[in-house]
Amino acid sequence: MSGQATLKEAGLTALLSMVLALPLIGLETVEEQGGLTLDTRLLWVLLIGAAVFAGRLGLIAWRSRKTVGTSTAAARRASALGETMHGIMPWIAGAAILFAVIMPFLPFANRTVVDLATLVLIYVMLGWGLNIVVGLAGLLDLGYVAFYAIGAYSFAMLAMHADFTFWMALPFAGLFACAFGVILGFPVLRLRGDYLAIVTLGFGEMIRIILLNWYHVTGGPDGISGIPRPGLFGLEFTRNGDPAFHEFFGLEYSSMYRLMFLYYLILILALITNWVTLRLRRLPIGRAWEALREDEIASRALGLNPTAVKLSAFAIGAMFGGFAGAFFATRQGFISPESFTFIESAIILAIVVLGGMGSQVGVVIAAVIMIGLPEWFRELQEYRMLLFGAGMVVIMVLRPRGLLSKRNPTIRLHAKKAGAMR
Amino acid sequence: MTQRQTQKPLLNVEHLTMRFGGLTAIDDLSFQAESRQITAIIGPNGAGKTTVFNCITGFYKPTVGMLTLHRQDNDYLLERMEGFDIARHAGVARTFQNIRLFQRMSVLENLLVAQHRTLMRASKFSFAGLFGLPSFKAAEREAVELARYWLERVKLINRADDDAGDLPYGDQRRLEIARAMCTRPAMLCLDEPAAGLNPRESAELNKLLLGIRDEHGIGVLLIEHDMSVVMEISNHVIVLDYGRKISDGTPDAVRNDPAVIRAYLGEDEDAEVAL
Amino acid sequence: MEYFAQQLINGLTLGSIYGLIAIGYTMVYGIIGMINFAHGEVFMIGAFVALIAFLAVTATGIAFVPLLLLIMLATSMLFTAAYGWTVERLAYRPLRGSFRLAPLISAIGMSIFLQNYVQLLQGARVKTLQPIISGGVVLMEKDGFTVVLSYMQMLIVGLTLALMVAFWFMIERSSFGRSQRACEQDRKMAGLLGVDVDRTISLTFVTGAGLAAIAGMMFLLYYGVIDFFIGFLAGLKAFTAAVLGGIGSLPGAMLGGLLIGLIEAFWAGYFTTEYKDVAAFSILVLVLIFRPTGLLGRPEVEKV
Repeated sequence: MSGQATLKEAGLTALLSMVLALPLIGLETVEEQGGLTLDTRLLWVLLIGAAVFAGRLGLIAWRSRKTVGTSTAAARRASALGETMHGIMPWIAGAAILFAVIMPFLPFANRTVVDLATLVLIYVMLGWGLNIVVGLAGLLDLGYVAFYAIGAYSFAMLAMHADFTFWMALPFAGLFACAFGVILGFPVLRLRGDYLAIVTLGFGEMIRIILLNWYHVTGGPDGISGIPRPGLFGLEFTRNGDPAFHEFFGLEYSSMYRLMFLYYLILILALITNWVTLRLRRLPIGRAWEALREDEIASRALGLNPTAVKLSAFAIGAMFGGFAGAFFATRQGFISPESFTFIESAIILAIVVLGGMGSQVGVVIAAVIMIGLPEWFRELQEYRMLLFGAGMVVIMVLRPRGLLSKRNPTIRLHAKKAGAMR
Repeated sequence: MTQRQTQKPLLNVEHLTMRFGGLTAIDDLSFQAESRQITAIIGPNGAGKTTVFNCITGFYKPTVGMLTLHRQDNDYLLERMEGFDIARHAGVARTFQNIRLFQRMSVLENLLVAQHRTLMRASKFSFAGLFGLPSFKAAEREAVELARYWLERVKLINRADDDAGDLPYGDQRRLEIARAMCTRPAMLCLDEPAAGLNPRESAELNKLLLGIRDEHGIGVLLIEHDMSVVMEISNHVIVLDYGRKISDGTPDAVRNDPAVIRAYLGEDEDAEVAL
Repeated sequence: MEYFAQQLINGLTLGSIYGLIAIGYTMVYGIIGMINFAHGEVFMIGAFVALIAFLAVTATGIAFVPLLLLIMLATSMLFTAAYGWTVERLAYRPLRGSFRLAPLISAIGMSIFLQNYVQLLQGARVKTLQPIISGGVVLMEKDGFTVVLSYMQMLIVGLTLALMVAFWFMIERSSFGRSQRACEQDRKMAGLLGVDVDRTISLTFVTGAGLAAIAGMMFLLYYGVIDFFIGFLAGLKAFTAAVLGGIGSLPGAMLGGLLIGLIEAFWAGYFTTEYKDVAAFSILVLVLIFRPTGLLGRPEVEKV
């Protein structure tokens, strides 16, 4: 591109960005005594224009340099990096699990850290559950939070009204969520992929509206409080529990034990999710999911019943959502429809997408970055969803198959040739 | 009685008609295809060949007509079955004109997906498989052996662990045939298998198809433009033009049929066709 | 009867707004076969720009209502169309021919981004606007219950009708309309025949966004309350309308919009307001199961 054309291109882009910025960034509606008035932030508009101009110029320069000849080398370097990353992935995973197990005993592990780690693990589990649906089966589920909600509410009901303990109620929470998955999935899974996305979105909203309005069962917007906390084989984590955990083991009472217990509980639940997913991937059902994601028409020609295969992915994903919901309910002790909005679905989807669809390790990294960081740096929280949204677009544009998108065959005919791959 | 049953054709197509809105893609087509034979369907572009395949494999529901597949003393009425049931029960396997492999799965995985039904049953709908029970392991080994057999047949054994999408074009075509054969079909439908192959690959394909016909005793239904393939290996050729059958017989008979010559070269041509 | 008539008027008004948004969904779906999840947010931006334009104009002292409305309309359409164009250029165009889920996920990302963008810049609290046009015509009066057709409702329904006629002419007669329809039939072939496919797709987004901006302004004027989240529900319902009418069909989008508006109004009027959204979604699911091509849609033939 000639210098003049480059300048023109960058100038136009900057002009467009200023047009876009003018009404929404340049002017701000503020509430005053007499009603709404406008504040101006016109300087911002100029700054944005300048930044976009510079950015666009930089991008053009970078692109033209890349096309000169380094692109293949860069690509090779990138793929070599991917290859190495890929090779050490099992080690990273093993180290991460080890770290997760001993984490509560490390010196920095105070109440806040353990509690935050528990929260992150909830999202890891949800991400892994949704990964079955989106990453493996290629079904875009925008209402995953509905199954999370169903798990949480069915757990709360069973625990409050039927005196179920956590361990008794947990399977039912998963089963109810799974059943809802089947009921919803059966009619809609024969639809085209994008219809499925919008129907699941609608379903998520429907569940939330029902929870909000079915007052005498769900408590409406007030939610359900006083949900029993889980115990370890009947031992309670309260000061006056009967029998109490600390007395049984002859320890001083500390509320830290409960936090640690909850942490290990979700760690185990998440690892079970991971284990089941990894196993299923190697089974015919898992291969059928991936086959369907790759090419539905070819799958049908090979005798796969697409509806049944999709339904199994949808239902299993829903079940793990239900388990996570039950854990959420017992951890919080209080649930209300506010915890189950579309934003939650969007966050879980973002974790799966940014982590690289289908990659288990990617989900963990994404959950730590997206849940852990903003909780830790509170100032980030305001911008969190903005960045999530932008991140999803950028990742799709640059690496649509996700960051860690290389996949291993689930079965090999020949032993892996070390180093000499292609 | 038994005598008559064994004489039933593998596939019997009667009065097949397919209309899309006002367009009649296939018009009252009847033909038969036998086991241990290669039946070729040829015709100019747009003659409705792929539509015939789509009706046989259940992707389209024919407007009129009866499609009967005879397998192990059972008659399957294909026009009443879902596509995946046709592949499962009637044993009709197919390939696609524009190759449809599972690109991001390995070659071996592609062949295992084709054996989904057997493996699924062996895994007791995943419960036995989840805990790695021996019965499932044995079934999986058997499936891998079948896959290995076909990979050797199509000379892809060295690429078994590579992504299917990374194979060159000709290899992908052969892999698609191997994948179809892994479903243990009674009839194999091939949609232009020689398209885009060089002469050497094309000759290899001929050998492979003859092998499939003779050693595995199944019927092959073939759509092909490459006349060297058609004339060399088919037992039986059906010529379509504008959705109608204009000729039906041995390759030699079809080659000399004036109706075929007209369809290919236009009305006023009476020269010998270089079919 | 009177109550029925009143709900009918309310439903038609609401339906006009849904219909205008639904056209954006249906056009984009027709031409590139994807659901533009961010379209609801484009509608929301339209409402915000209209509000900001109103505040800016009144600050200069202009109080002549028709002029005020015209400026609001023009400003909102212009800026919202720019947003529509940019969304397509940044989030969708690079993904043409990418794998199946990529554009959908990108669209959802865009939708989340725009929602939070407006929330951060304009605040999370609802914005209220005093009614600009008040009053109306009493159509019926019986037992103290009056059926009112407000001037606002007349404006909305009238403007929608005028827009539909103009829009129909544009699609049927103009060269953009011809390219648009050609791309809908077969994008590759249209490209070979010299139709500028990229430009046509861009223009489709621009027109869709323009109509959504009008819908956003109507929403603002009619309800007088907006916030950054209005695009979510309105978008979902407008999409339902597009599917109900038959996705890809322009008259279908309008018909679907009116039906959804009516269903919502009658449901709220005769049953409970709480579950009116549930009713709309249930219809979406039922339509998709029993008549996926919608009321006026063409059946889709699968290409094997």
